[in-house]
Amino acid sequence: MSDAILEVEGLSKTYAARRGFMGGQIAMVRALSDVSFSVSAGEAFGLVGESGCGKSTAGRAVLRLIEADSGTVRFKGESIFDADAARLRRLRRQMQIVFQDPYSSLNPRRTIGQTLSEPMRVHGTGSAREISAVVREVLGEVGMPRGAAEKYPHEFSGGQRQRIGIARALVLRPELIIADEPVSALDVSIQAQILVLLRNLQQQRHLSFVFISHDLGVVRHFCRSVAVMYLGHIVERGPVPAIFDEPLHPYTRALRNASPVPDPAAKVTMAKLEGEVASALAPPSGCHFHPRCPHATDLCRRVYPPWVEVSKDRGVACHLYPAGSAATGESRETTP
Amino acid sequence: MNEKVENARVLEVEGLTTEFRIDGRWYPAVRDVSFSLVRNETLALVGESGCGKSITALSIMGLVPRANGRIAAGRVLLEGRDLVTLDESAMEKVRGSAISMIFQEPMTSLNPVLPIGFQVAEALRYHTKLSEPQARARALELLEQVKIPSAVRRFNDYPHQFSGGMRQRVMIAIALACSPKVILADEPTTALDVTIQAQVLALLAELKVETGLAMIFITHNLGVVASIADRVAVMYAGDIIEIAPVDALFQHPTHPYTEALLASIPRVDRDATDLRPIPGQVPPITAMPQGCRYAERCPLREPRCTASSPPLVALAGDPAHRARCWVRAGGEGRAI
Amino acid sequence: MTMLAATRETGALARLGRSLLRNKMASFGAGIVLLMALSAVFAPWLSPHDPLEQDVLLRLAGPSAGYPLGNDSFGRDILSRILWGGRVSLYVSTVSVLIAIVLGGALGILSGYIGGLFDRVTMAAMDVLLSFPTLVMGLLVVAMLGPTVGNLILAITLTAIAPFARIARAPTLTIKERDFIEAGRALGFSNLRIMVVHILPNVVDEILVMASLWLATAIRTEASLSFIGLGVRPPTATWGGMIREGFENILDQPLLAVFPSVAILIVMFGLNMLGDGLRDTSDPKLRHE
Repeated sequence: MSDAILEVEGLSKTYAARRGFMGGQIAMVRALSDVSFSVSAGEAFGLVGESGCGKSTAGRAVLRLIEADSGTVRFKGESIFDADAARLRRLRRQMQIVFQDPYSSLNPRRTIGQTLSEPMRVHGTGSAREISAVVREVLGEVGMPRGAAEKYPHEFSGGQRQRIGIARALVLRPELIIADEPVSALDVSIQAQILVLLRNLQQQRHLSFVFISHDLGVVRHFCRSVAVMYLGHIVERGPVPAIFDEPLHPYTRALRNASPVPDPAAKVTMAKLEGEVASALAPPSGCHFHPRCPHATDLCRRVYPPWVEVSKDRGVACHLYPAGSAATGESRETTP
Repeated sequence: MNEKVENARVLEVEGLTTEFRIDGRWYPAVRDVSFSLVRNETLALVGESGCGKSITALSIMGLVPRANGRIAAGRVLLEGRDLVTLDESAMEKVRGSAISMIFQEPMTSLNPVLPIGFQVAEALRYHTKLSEPQARARALELLEQVKIPSAVRRFNDYPHQFSGGMRQRVMIAIALACSPKVILADEPTTALDVTIQAQVLALLAELKVETGLAMIFITHNLGVVASIADRVAVMYAGDIIEIAPVDALFQHPTHPYTEALLASIPRVDRDATDLRPIPGQVPPITAMPQGCRYAERCPLREPRCTASSPPLVALAGDPAHRARCWVRAGGEGRAI
Repeated sequence: MTMLAATRETGALARLGRSLLRNKMASFGAGIVLLMALSAVFAPWLSPHDPLEQDVLLRLAGPSAGYPLGNDSFGRDILSRILWGGRVSLYVSTVSVLIAIVLGGALGILSGYIGGLFDRVTMAAMDVLLSFPTLVMGLLVVAMLGPTVGNLILAITLTAIAPFARIARAPTLTIKERDFIEAGRALGFSNLRIMVVHILPNVVDEILVMASLWLATAIRTEASLSFIGLGVRPPTATWGGMIREGFENILDQPLLAVFPSVAILIVMFGLNMLGDGLRDTSDPKLRHE
C-alpha cells in the first residue's frame, strides 16, 4: 500500500466510565479494539456502524483529538502518535475534520471571516491580504455568496453553516479530511447539495476522506471502500459496491437489509435480528455479535473470530469464514 | 389494498389551515390541507423540515401552541365529530384514548422518575374505568404486545434502564393503551439506529394488522415511507403537493418536487449515480411567493405557475393519485 | 489586557451598547449610574465648597442658599462631601470589581476548561471564599491589616473573586463541548488561544451582568465598613462615614443621615436596574439560533 495516505494499525481505546449511584463504581468501556484500515491517496474511505460502534472515536483518535491507548497511525508514512508538539502542529495542517452538527461547529461570536482566517493567522501562512484572498476564494468554492465573510453564523441556515464548516477545514489546504456524519443533520435535498460539493472538492483538490456515517446509502454513493464497525471492532472491510451487494458478515447483511430504500417493493426486512445492540460496557463474550446472529455457534460464543483476508481487498472477522476461505469467500453456511 | 375492505373513514381532515404570528402578522404554516384515513391504513406524511407535517399533527391533536398559533380554518372529523370545535377539557378526553401520539425523542417523552409500568397504566387509569389492578394487568399485556422482553420483571424499571428502541416500544404501548382509532407517529424512528428502526417498523406493521388501527406516520425519510405506508402525502411549504397510494407515488412521481426528491437520495441498493440536488431553498414562511410555492426551484416552471397557486387535482389515469401542479396535473387531469 | 482585546475583537462592547439602548430598564439604570459616576469624577469642579472646610457657625444647619443640602456637625457642606464621597465609593468599587473579574474570570475559565483535579481543588477554594459574607471579610482584613483604602479593596476583591469564578466556569463547561472548540484543536490552536479567543467572548455577557450587580455590593460594603468606623478614616468624606455622623446627630438634624443614604440608594438602584436589564437582553440574544 505504497500510495496509502493514512495507515491505521491496531487502534485501541478504553474509557473509564462512572456508574452507579453517585458514580461509585467504575466500569471500562472498550470504545475501540484493534482497529486497522488504510486509505489511499484521493480515496474516500467509509466507516459505518450504528451508535456506540466506535466510528467517531476512531476518527478523532486518528487526528489525536482523543489519545488512543495503543496502536499506530501513519500519515504519509509519518507516525502521528510519536510526533512532538511542533511536528503535530505541522501535521494538523494536513488533516482536518468536518463535524455533524452545523449549529455547534461555528463560534457564534466570530464572523465567518474571522473563523476562516484564524487558522491561517495562527500558522502564519501569509500576509493579511493573502489570507483575505484565500478566505474569499474558499467561500466561493463552497458556494457561499459574496459578503458572507462579514456575517455571523446565526444569519445562515444549517446547510450553509455546513458549507462554512467545510470551508474552514479547507483553508490550510489539507490532504485528508475526517468527515464525521457531515450530512446526517441536514434535510434530504440539502444533503444532496453537500454531497455533490464534497465530491467536487475531492476531485479539484485531490482530497482523501475518512467518511464516517450510519447511512449506508450515503456511504455507497460517496466511498470507494468501507469498513463496518460493531462495538469497537471492524467486522468487515471491502470495496463499496461488493460489500453491500454481497455482504459476508451477518451484521453487514443485517445492516444492509434494515436500511430503508425508497422502493415499496424492497421493504425493510429484519430476518431474525432480535435484541439490542449490546452495550460497550459489557460486550458479550466471544464474537460480540453472537446474541443477535442467526448463525451463531458455540465457537462464536467462546472465541472472538480472527481477521481473515478473504481476498486482496476484502477482510472479515467471522467464524463462518475461517482462515483459508480464499478468494470467493466461501462460508461454512450455505444459506447466507 | 385494505381500503376496499374497511371503508369507514376514521379521520377526515378538511381544509386545515394553521397560522403562526410572527412580528405581529399571521402566516399559514399549514395551508388548506385535506386528507382522510380509513381503518387499517397507514398514511405517511412526508416532507423536509419546515414543510408543516408536524404542525398538521399538532393541529389534529389540538396541541398548537396558543401563544402565537391558531387553527384558522378547516375541520378535523374524528368519526364525524369535529375536533376543532372542542374545548380543552373535551379534547383531553379525546387525546390518549381516541387519538394517540408517539413522539420522536424517546429520551424526553417518558417521565424519568416514574416506572414504565406505571406510565402505561396511567393512560388506562385516566381514560377508562379500570380498577388499579386491572389497569396494571392490562399494562403488562400491552408491554408484552410490544415485545418488551421479560416484561413482568421489567414492569417497575425506569426509563433510563431501557435503550432508545425499548423506550419507543413503551411509548407505543402507552399510545395503544386505550385502543385508539388513530395513532399519530411523529418521526418515531428517526432517533433510532437503523437495525432498531427496522424492528420498530416491523412491530408497528404487526400491530396495525392485529388491531386494525389507522396510523399517520410523519417522516422525512422516503425509504421508511416505502417500507411502511399504504398511502403517501408529500408536503412542501405548508401544502400537500402530492398524495397517492405508495406504489403509484414511487413508480409515477408526478409533482416535480417529489420527482426531484427521489432523484436526490443516495441508495444502498444501487450503484452510485450522479445525485441531482434540488437547487435553492424553501422560501421563508414570511415571504411565500404568490403562485406555486415550488416554482422558483422547478425546472418545468411556466408563467402560469408564478401567477397563481395550482389546486390539488386527480390524475386522469388514477383518481386516487392527486398532484398540485399546473404543468403535470393542470386541471385537465393530464397524467404523465 | 487580553480580555479587553477579546471584547474589542468580538464587538462585545458595541453589542452591549446596542442592547442597552433597546432595553428601557437597562438604559435608565445606565443613565443613573453614568450621572453619578460623572458627578464623582468631576467632583472637584462641581462641588461648591471644599469638603473639608469647617465653619462652626453653620453647625448642623439645614439647607440654605449657599449650602443646598445643609451642613454637618462640623459645618462642612454636605453637598460637596457627597460629591467627594462618591469618588471614594466609585474608586473602591470599580477597582475591586475589576480585579475580581480578571482574577475570578480567568480562574473560572481555566478551571472549567482543564477540569479534573485542578477544577475540583479550585472550586473547593472558591467555596471557602464564598462562605465569607463580604462584610465579615472586610472586618477581618481591616482588623488585621488596618483601615486603608487598599485593604478595603483587598477585602472586597477576595469575596468577589469566587462568584465571578463560578459564573465564568458554568458556561465554559458547556462551551468546551461544542464542536467549534474541537475544530480549533484540530486546527492546531493552543489551549490558551482557545480559552481567550473562543471561550472568553462567550462568557463575557454573563460576567458583565454580574459586574454591575457586584458594583452595587461593593459600594454597599464600603459604606457599611465606613459606617462602623473601619472604612476610610475621617475627615475624608465617605458616604458611610457621613451616615455614621448623621446617626450620631440624628435627633438634632435628621437630614444629615438622609442625604448620603439617598445617594447610596440611587446608585445601587441604578446598578441593579442596569444589571437586570443586561441580563434580560443578553439571554435571548445568545439563543438566537
